Amino acid sequence: MPMVYTPKENMPKPGMPSGALAMLILRVLNSGSLHGYAIAQRIHVLSSEVLDVEEGSLYPALQKILLKGWASAEWGISETNRKVRFYRLTPAGKKQLEAELQDYDRVTQAIQSVLRTA
Amino acid sequence: MEKIKEILRRLGYLLSRNRHSRELENEMAFHREMAERAGRPEAKRNFGNTLHLREQAREAWGWTWIDRLIQDLRYATRMLARTPGFTIPAVLVLAIGIGVNVAAFSIFNLIALQPIPLRDPDSLVRLQRRSPEIISGQMPYLTAMFFREHAKTLSAVMTMMGARLEFEDDAQPVRTNFISANFFVELGASAAYGRLLNASDEAANAQPVVVLGHDFWQSHYGGDPSIVGKTIHLNHKQVTVVGIEPYAFPSLNGETADIWLPITQQPYLVEGSALLTDPADGGPSMWGRLAPGVTAKMAEAELLTLTNERRKQYPKDVWKDEYVRSDPASHLHVMEPQMYQAAAIVGALTLLILAVACANLGGLLLARGVAREHELGIRLAIGASRKRIFRQLFTESMLLAFLGSGVGLALAYITIRTVLVTTDAPKWMSAAPDWRVLLFVVGMALVTSLLFGFAPALQMARQKHRRTIARQILIGAQVAASCILLIVASLLVRAVQHALYTSPGFGYEQVISVSPGLGEHGYKPAAAQAYMEQLRIRVLSLPGVTSVALVKLPPLGHGVTRIDTQVNGHPLQIYPNWVDPDFFRTMEVPILLGRNFLPGEKNAAVISQSMARAQWPGENPIGKTYGDKDTVVGVVGNARMNDLNEDDTVEVYSPSQTEDMPGMSLVLKTSGAPDGLTPSLKSIVQNLDPKLFPEITLLKANFRKDMKSVELAALVVSLIGFLAMLLAGVGLLGLVAFTISQRAKEIAIRLALGSPQHKVLSSILGQFSWPVVIGLVLGIGGTAAISQILRRVLYGVSNLDPFSYVSAVLILVAIIAFAALLPARRALRLDVARALHQE
Repeated sequence: MPMVYTPKENMPKPGMPSGALAMLILRVLNSGSLHGYAIAQRIHVLSSEVLDVEEGSLYPALQKILLKGWASAEWGISETNRKVRFYRLTPAGKKQLEAELQDYDRVTQAIQSVLRTA
Repeated sequence: MEKIKEILRRLGYLLSRNRHSRELENEMAFHREMAERAGRPEAKRNFGNTLHLREQAREAWGWTWIDRLIQDLRYATRMLARTPGFTIPAVLVLAIGIGVNVAAFSIFNLIALQPIPLRDPDSLVRLQRRSPEIISGQMPYLTAMFFREHAKTLSAVMTMMGARLEFEDDAQPVRTNFISANFFVELGASAAYGRLLNASDEAANAQPVVVLGHDFWQSHYGGDPSIVGKTIHLNHKQVTVVGIEPYAFPSLNGETADIWLPITQQPYLVEGSALLTDPADGGPSMWGRLAPGVTAKMAEAELLTLTNERRKQYPKDVWKDEYVRSDPASHLHVMEPQMYQAAAIVGALTLLILAVACANLGGLLLARGVAREHELGIRLAIGASRKRIFRQLFTESMLLAFLGSGVGLALAYITIRTVLVTTDAPKWMSAAPDWRVLLFVVGMALVTSLLFGFAPALQMARQKHRRTIARQILIGAQVAASCILLIVASLLVRAVQHALYTSPGFGYEQVISVSPGLGEHGYKPAAAQAYMEQLRIRVLSLPGVTSVALVKLPPLGHGVTRIDTQVNGHPLQIYPNWVDPDFFRTMEVPILLGRNFLPGEKNAAVISQSMARAQWPGENPIGKTYGDKDTVVGVVGNARMNDLNEDDTVEVYSPSQTEDMPGMSLVLKTSGAPDGLTPSLKSIVQNLDPKLFPEITLLKANFRKDMKSVELAALVVSLIGFLAMLLAGVGLLGLVAFTISQRAKEIAIRLALGSPQHKVLSSILGQFSWPVVIGLVLGIGGTAAISQILRRVLYGVSNLDPFSYVSAVLILVAIIAFAALLPARRALRLDVARALHQE
C-alpha cells in the first residue's frame, strides 16, 4: 500500500461513532493479520482519508479486543525489521464482527428511513 | 464460557502487568516511528501525552483501581508517618473505642457463640423436668435410666452429679462429679494417661475406680503419671486411680471437677445413699445426645409420651402435667432471654464509647484538614479531580481505621487474657480471636472509617470547612454520648456500693453453717431428728458458741428455692425456708412485729417486712392467712440470705417439722472469731456417726466470694466511665484548641484593640454553648428513657436516682469547662504581634 502524503485540508474532522472503531478494526483484520500501525493506516486509506484513528483510541480498543478474545496477538517482524505484535482475528471475533455488522446495518437503515420520510 | 475466558485473561493481565506494560510501550513507540516515517504530524503532536495514552490503554485491562489503591495507601502512610502528633492520639482513640467493642464481643463469643470443643456439640441437649408450677434441674436417677432404655430419639443419655468428698485426710473437701460411664466416651475425650471411665465401670461387680482431674493431678501429684493404678481414699473408702482427665476438658455446662467417679459407685462412697434406688430422689442432672436426624422438639415429644406412661406405673413420682424440657448444650451456658438482654445492654454501651471515639476523631481530622488546605489546593489546581482527592482522603481514613483496629484487637486480647486468668475460667477458653471475632474487627474497622472518614473527607474535598456546623454536631454528639455513659456508670457504681455496704439483714461475720447431709446418707426423719438434737446439744457446749439453730436452706449456701408468684398484679419472688425458733436469734434477724415460732408449732408463718408490705400493704399482717393453711404470727426484718444480689425479694419462714429433718443444716453463732472451730465441729458430727462427711462453711467466706464478683463489676464499670470521660475531655480540648488556632488572628486583633477578655472568649466559645446544652439534654433524657432496661441490674437504686444523674452531669460539665477554658486562657495570653505575623 503506498503511503502517500496528502496535505490535510482545513476541514473539521468528522467524529467517529464510538462503537464503530472496534467494528472497523475487526473488519480490517478479517482480510489478514496486521500490526497496530498498519491497522490505523488501512482504516485511514480505505476511508479515503476521512477517518483518522489516533493512538489514544486505537490501542485501548485493541486491548479491549484482545481481552474479549476477538483477536489474538502474535509476535512477528515488521517491514522495518522490528519485533512487533500482529493481531489476528479469531473465530469468536469473526462471529462478533458479523453480529456488529448486522446491528450496524439495521441501525443505519432505521436512521435513513427516518431521515427520508420524517 | 466466554465470560470465564475473559476473566481469566484479565487475571493474566493483572499478574504480568509489568510485562504487558512494556510490550504496550514498545508497540506505541513503534507506531510513532512509522508515523514519523510517513511524515504524519501525529508523531510530533502526541509526544507529550505518551504516558497519558499508555494509561488510557491500560485502563482497558480494568486493573487500574488496584494501582490507584496502592498509590493512595502509600501516600496515606507517608502522610500519617509525617504527623505523629496526630496519628498517635488518633490511633489510640480508635484503639480504645474499637478495642472495647471487640473485647465485649469476644466475651459474648466465648459464652454464647463458640461451641464447646466436644464431639458433635450441636446434638447435645440438657434435659430437665418441668411442670407448669415447678422448675427443677434434677432428674431422679431411675427416671433417667427409664428414658435411656426407652427413648429412641436419644442416642445416648448421660447423668452428672456434683458432690464434695473427703480426700485422704484433707480438711478441704474435693469437688467430685459422679457421672454415667458413657460420659467421657460420648463427649469424645481421651485420657491424658491411663484410661477414662467406660461401660465396664457400670457392671454389677465393677471395682470402684476414679479418674483424676487434670489440674488436681498437677497440684496434688505434681503431674506424676505413676499415680495411675494406685489406690486413694475418698470418704475413707478405697478407690483405684485408672486415668487422668485430658487437659482443658470442657465438660458439660462448664462443670469441671477434681475427681470423676462412676455414678453407680455413689452409694459405696456416700453410705446409705438411695440415689440409685429411690424414684423420688432428685439427684443428677440429665443430658442427652439427639439421634441423627432427630430434632429437639421430636425428643421432647417422645419424652412426654414416656413420662405419661411412667405415671401409670409410678403415679406418685410423676408430677401433674410433667414434661421434659430440652435446651441446647453446645455452648458454655444455656442462653436465657435475660442474658441476651444483658448482652445487648453491654453492646450498646460499648458502641456508645465507640461513638465518642469517632466523634473525637472526626474533630481531630477536621483540624488536620485545615492544616492541609495548601496541599489540597495545589492538587486541585494541578488537575486532580475532586473524586480522586476524596477517594484518597477516604483511603487515609480507612488506613487509620485499620491501624486502630489492629491496636484495638491487641488491647482486647490483653484484656480478655487478664479476665480469663483472674476469673479462673475453664481452660479450653482461649483469648485468641477466632474467625467470628476477626470478622467483627474488620466490620468495625469499615464502619468506623465510614463514620469518621466520610464527613471530613467530603468537607476537605469541597474546601468548605469554614462553616462550623460540622464541629458543633461533633461536639454535641460527644457530649450526649459521654453524658449517657457517665450517668450509666455512676448509676451502676451506686448500685454496687449499695450492694457492698448496706447490711444484708443478717449476721454473717460470726456464723458457721454445718451440713451433715443426713438425707444423702439414707436417714429417715425420726432418726434425723434424734441426730440433730444430739448435734445441737454438743455444738452448744463448745466454748465460744453462743447460739445454735436449724435451717433447711443454709444462708449463702448452694441450695436455693424460689417461688415466683404474683400479688396484686406485681410479680413477687418469695424465698421460703424452714427454720426452728432459735434461727432468728442466731442469725441476728430482728423480730419487728408479733412473735417467734413456738417449739413444735405447725401451720404458722413468719414473714419478712418486705413480704408484709407486698402482700398486705398498709395492714397488720398478724393473723392473716398465708398460702393454704398457715397463719402469720410474726414479721421480721428483711434478710437476703439466699440471694445477696436480688433486692426486691421477700422471705417467708415456716417452722421445721420432723419430716424436714433429713435435709436440715445447723447454724451456730460464735462470740469471737469463728475461725478454727471447723475441726471440732467435724469431729462432733463424725463421733455421732462416722459415715458422715459434713460440709462446714464460715458464712463470711461465702459472703466475700459473692461480693468479689460484684466488686469486679464495679471496677469494670468505673473504668468504662473513666474512659468515656477521658475521651470526651480530650476530644473537646482538641476541638476548642483547633477553633482558637483558626481564629488566632482575629483574637489577637481584638485584644490589641482593647476588647475585654471575656467578650473575646464568649464570642469564640459561644458557638459551643448550644451544642453542649443540647448534648447534655439529650444525654440526660436518653439515659432516663432507656434506664428502664437497667432496672434489673440496679440493686437498690432507682433508675432515676437523682444523686447519680446530678453527680455525673456535674463531672461532665466540669470537664467541659476545663477543656474549653484551658486553650482559651492560653489564647488570651497570645503574643499579639506574633499571632499577627503568623501566616
